[in-house]
Amino acid sequence: MFFLSLIEHTLRLPPHLLNLPLDQAIKGELETLFLDKVIANLGLCVSVYDIRNIDGGFIFPGDGASTFTVNFRLIMFRPFVGEVLSGEVEESDAKGLRLSLGFFKDITLPAHLLPNPSKFGEDGKWTWDFNGTELPIEKEDEIRFKVHSIRYPPIPVEQEKDAKPFAPMVITASIDFDGLGPISWWV
Amino acid sequence: MILRLQTNAGTLTNFEVLDFLRSRGASTDSTRVIANVAPSEFQVYDYLVQSAARNQTRESIDEFLTSWVKFDPAKAEKLNLINIKPSPAIEIDSIVENCEQRMGNEDEALVKMIIEMLPAPGKPEGTNEDPTEVVADQEAMEAVLPPSTKPRGTNEEETVETVGDQDSVQTLSFSTVTIYLYVV
Repeated sequence: MFFLSLIEHTLRLPPHLLNLPLDQAIKGELETLFLDKVIANLGLCVSVYDIRNIDGGFIFPGDGASTFTVNFRLIMFRPFVGEVLSGEVEESDAKGLRLSLGFFKDITLPAHLLPNPSKFGEDGKWTWDFNGTELPIEKEDEIRFKVHSIRYPPIPVEQEKDAKPFAPMVITASIDFDGLGPISWWV
Repeated sequence: MILRLQTNAGTLTNFEVLDFLRSRGASTDSTRVIANVAPSEFQVYDYLVQSAARNQTRESIDEFLTSWVKFDPAKAEKLNLINIKPSPAIEIDSIVENCEQRMGNEDEALVKMIIEMLPAPGKPEGTNEDPTEVVADQEAMEAVLPPSTKPRGTNEEETVETVGDQDSVQTLSFSTVTIYLYVV
């Protein structure tokens, strides 16, 4: 689910941070810049793991701030395709479900990736019809799902007024295998 | 300008991320507002604390891996097993491919082994239900965890140029200048 990513970045350190020790100031700047943001094809940045190298300290003409070239590692959240994760149901509608991991809420479970004879009831819940036994997906269940694919849609230039907020990283999940779905189904 | 040197500089299990956040000071009790941890990191911490990684230790994971070596699991399968800790045999099927071919009759023995080696998550703990219990667990766990939190398989070469000395000298001279002004 998590992995480290080594990144080099030319960082401009604003002058008001000059009184802090250098590594603290740089770490603070990196956190402001990267924490909780999605980098395309790398995933969601969870934390700055460590700083490996700080170079530079040049001051460009006309600028009051110094610029450093920093090598550092970030903890990125990017599950691989086929990974099994467990999360909760956030929303459930006719097109499928939306699951959440607490810190990441854009996991869609489309209707075609639910186990085959599933149907959507009027109370808003999906139910799996397993050889005659009805197994519903409740809202408080912890759901095990397999990652089907990850997409990084490009940032839209314009959005309609009531459109859903833009999600820079969307995970498509599937529970169409043995052992997946709410844990209560298999215990 | 961001340059990606290595997109994947090492995979981390949930336990390692939890350990890292704990070493930064994250916890579930009320001292969390003082800790040096951002709110978004706290969300990750809250998720990990109620997952199977909660009671794991470095030693238990090492033991688990050495005992699985004979089945030659792929890296992804090992990661999945450690993170999720499946209990019934059927859940292992979704994680390990060709489960029957490779394990066959040893299925049951394996499941038992897994349950023994990776401590069970147990009931998810509420954040403020039993503050004394949570704190006691935390202390017990920290006693078990090795004191150094260096992760496995990483190069520990951190070269940080310290320009800090110059800065402190400069601030000193600045403050002495202001004193002179007042005196005058």
